[in-house]
Amino acid sequence: MPKLTIDNREIQVPTGTKVIEAAERLGIMIPRFCFHPALGSVGACRVCAVAFTEGPVKGIQMSCMIDVQDGMVVSTTDAEAVDFRRHVIEWLMLHHPHDCPVCDEGGHCLLQDLTVAGNHGIRRYRGLKRTHNNQDLGPLVQHEMNRCIQCYRCSRFYQEFTGYRDLGVMGIGSRVYFGRSVSGVLESPFSGNLTDICPTGVYTDKPSRYFGRRWDYQRHPSLCLHCSLGCNLTASARYRRVVRHEARPNLEVNGHFLCDRGRYGYAYASAADRPRQAMAAGTPGTIADILTGAQEAIQRTVEQYGPGSVAVATSSRSSLETLALLKQACEQHGWTGPATTQTDRQALNQRTAVNCLRPELAVSLAADTEAHDVLVIGADPLNEAPMLALSLRQVQRSGGHVTVIDPRGVRLPFDFDHWAVHPSAMGAIVQALIQEIAGDGTAASTEFDVTRLARQLNASPRPSVICGTDILTSREIALAGDLAQALCRTHRVAGLFYVLTGANAFAAALTQSERVSMETVLDRIENGSVRLLVAVEQDLWREFPDRKRLQKALKRLDHLVLLDYVNSPLNHEVSYFIPTQPIYESGGHWINQEGRLQGASAVMAGGDTIEVTGGLDHPPRVFESHIPGSEQLAAWRALAALTEDHAKTVKAIQEETLRSALADFHPAVDTTSAQPTGQRIDLNAVSHAGVESTEGPVPVVNEASSDTVLLLLVDWTFGTETLSAMSPTLEKVEASPVAHMHPDTIASFGLAEGKPVTISVDARQLTVPVQADPRMAPGVMVIPRHHLLEWQIFGETRVIVKRSQLNADGV
Amino acid sequence: MSEDKLKTDEKPLKPTESSGWSALKALAEGFATTAKHLARKPITESYPEVKRQLPERSRARIVLTHDPDGRERCVACYLCSAVCPVSCISMQSAEQPNGRRYARWFRINFGRCIYCGLCEEACPTSAIQLTPDFENIQRDILTLVFEKKDLLVEGCGKDPSYNYYEHAGVTTDQRGKGEHASETPPVNVKSNLP
Repeated sequence: MPKLTIDNREIQVPTGTKVIEAAERLGIMIPRFCFHPALGSVGACRVCAVAFTEGPVKGIQMSCMIDVQDGMVVSTTDAEAVDFRRHVIEWLMLHHPHDCPVCDEGGHCLLQDLTVAGNHGIRRYRGLKRTHNNQDLGPLVQHEMNRCIQCYRCSRFYQEFTGYRDLGVMGIGSRVYFGRSVSGVLESPFSGNLTDICPTGVYTDKPSRYFGRRWDYQRHPSLCLHCSLGCNLTASARYRRVVRHEARPNLEVNGHFLCDRGRYGYAYASAADRPRQAMAAGTPGTIADILTGAQEAIQRTVEQYGPGSVAVATSSRSSLETLALLKQACEQHGWTGPATTQTDRQALNQRTAVNCLRPELAVSLAADTEAHDVLVIGADPLNEAPMLALSLRQVQRSGGHVTVIDPRGVRLPFDFDHWAVHPSAMGAIVQALIQEIAGDGTAASTEFDVTRLARQLNASPRPSVICGTDILTSREIALAGDLAQALCRTHRVAGLFYVLTGANAFAAALTQSERVSMETVLDRIENGSVRLLVAVEQDLWREFPDRKRLQKALKRLDHLVLLDYVNSPLNHEVSYFIPTQPIYESGGHWINQEGRLQGASAVMAGGDTIEVTGGLDHPPRVFESHIPGSEQLAAWRALAALTEDHAKTVKAIQEETLRSALADFHPAVDTTSAQPTGQRIDLNAVSHAGVESTEGPVPVVNEASSDTVLLLLVDWTFGTETLSAMSPTLEKVEASPVAHMHPDTIASFGLAEGKPVTISVDARQLTVPVQADPRMAPGVMVIPRHHLLEWQIFGETRVIVKRSQLNADGV
Repeated sequence: MSEDKLKTDEKPLKPTESSGWSALKALAEGFATTAKHLARKPITESYPEVKRQLPERSRARIVLTHDPDGRERCVACYLCSAVCPVSCISMQSAEQPNGRRYARWFRINFGRCIYCGLCEEACPTSAIQLTPDFENIQRDILTLVFEKKDLLVEGCGKDPSYNYYEHAGVTTDQRGKGEHASETPPVNVKSNLP
């Protein structure tokens, strides 16, 4: 560990640290444009010059290019270094346009800050300025090339870090240009990060273009709810409208970046059609009256039919607070539930993954980038959890190897091995791998080289297993856990990483006291034992896989109480509708897929946006003491008021109820010692019992036959996740839904590529164009749970479809 | 504490100073001054009847001016609202189809304004200017909240020539890339000539 002196202060840092980072540890921020902790040094901007006065290096040097060495003496305030930096700023500004007033970066622009800091107030250059033409980079990023200072951050991020090739650097000399070879939508689903990393205004955020300046925004730390990774972000709001997400660095989770689904998926919170009015059977009322009505309905139902006739359903996007109150209410009052998933398979999957995740195996998203060899089982990173694909890209960049075992035509922005295995054969392959790794392998001869993969994982200094929970069954999920444990016996460090479905799926799994899913609740509604359903932030209309059955069952209920913040056709039909607050108004805690408990602050006070109250033109000319349309409650407050008589109006009682509910929630979860970066819950305290036995041969499930095709309804990067699918911005970049099949499967079922196929289930049809994908496993059909498709006819997201149910259109 | 320390240094008044003579003298002087001014022309002006022409740079009611070519100058950059010490300016910026950034709405609450002139100093386009018109009094406080239509005036105000979009460097219907003041035509990135 070399020791050096920076501005008369000594510091010892690990070998390989750059001087600029060492100074940062002392709290000395050396100016920088091209240096970025995630992208490293390139020495392009020359603005981090410092003076080395003694030691192995002498003179003015770039602090981002010099590794620390013992005995270095560095001065950042040396007159020559300061003068050098002043000149660098001046020449970077030579061609800079006179457009700060109309530039969105103004106010949080690094170039602006350093120009002021370098005391360069008056332009001395009287020559002509070099100009560039701009490109249209699609609906997410605005391009203004005149402002460029050639730091190369964008091309390094886009090509090296994320692995996409369509944006880069062109030209020579002073004509260096950053952009695409032709105008067009950026291909990378991480393109929004360009707006964060650009130190000036070349790339600015297009959806929030001109909406406001950084100083006008209400900015608070928040979390992304659009997948289970729990990436950290800073949300900005102005005039009661959420306008922007920026990545909030958390080196344990998302590093410095965000995917575009997380960055642009916020529109639901300020949507014009967001329900803000409490209603009883479609009639508006005050929230207190509706709460009283719902409470009385619950009491009447309990008196008449017993406590079990009240069922509770919630989803994995609810906060920990909401889940805790629901769990407590169900335990105290004997209600049915809470159901946290749609189908029994999902409930079992969620539960199995959480139970298999032992503390010695669990790795964070950031730790995953340090793995050397990664095996992905039944997960499609780019579509299910995009930031995971970015992590895997770093594995590949540092010389690691990624193997994906998945029936879908998985695509990743780097070279990897893909085994397109039929879902019903995946268990056998994972089992064969486990046996090979344990050394008692009698590798059955398959088309896939299990022995080689086992040898590769065994020889790896740091292997990691990533397993999806969406398309698999609990058996494969448990087997993935066994595989990680088998690797753990031969390695000191082996990782296990489950991709769950939903932001708070981990907490939802801890909430399940028995395996109750919406499917079970509907069974009980149909046999008459459940008479009242309380659905909390659970968009049944969009997410339950059998809409007809759902509608029929809900009609049999005496009462349906719905608490939510998204618009749904059900809202107007239910007996009691209580509007709740999204994360930006309520804040709360979420547990991500590795069991990390993270908090989000409330960003703004809720209410109708100015567009609504002022009729689009300007804010209303009336002054009121309350915010119009702000009567919503955080879901947990509404629940406390529903379950406790005294908690209806007194906030202190609601908070007391919440405290006790959180304390009783689960022994593994301690919300009282929450840290800003989030901390992993005590995975030892999570029961590892109840995991299905994976011993013995894999039971033969007749999912693969020549007469049937296995239909998987899957997640896509854009357009499938409930909340982000409501974003008008992302609608412009989402792909239109298609059914993917292997060309052989298309041919054997008499379908034609590019032509629509109609799938019939009980007199209901789904028509979708077929697209061939030779990378897929044969015998599988993959359809996205797209918001433009009425896919809710199958009853499950993994179903067998017979030949007779498939019709080429027009036949 | 000793007694002599408590003694004050007060001197007794001289008989001449406390006499009636000095009082009479002061009275006469006072009347003389008054009498002198009675005959003199007043130096004050009767304000509502007489309205003096104020200097051009005196600071009162705020206006939004136009470019020399007659288009709105304000680009809604939020600098005036940021610098305003009493937060009386608010606006919403937006983009016009022709590429110009403009204020979709712009509001100044003159009930709050202290006429400090910082907004005018901060304005990069000479759009917001203070005028000598100080007679901005209303009975209803809400009528002191001026919207954009109340603020916009004809002409360029105190700056007759500045036209921001001639210099900006961003493409609008007014100027394209390389056509602004002191700009060279856009470079051809596909050329490898030195």
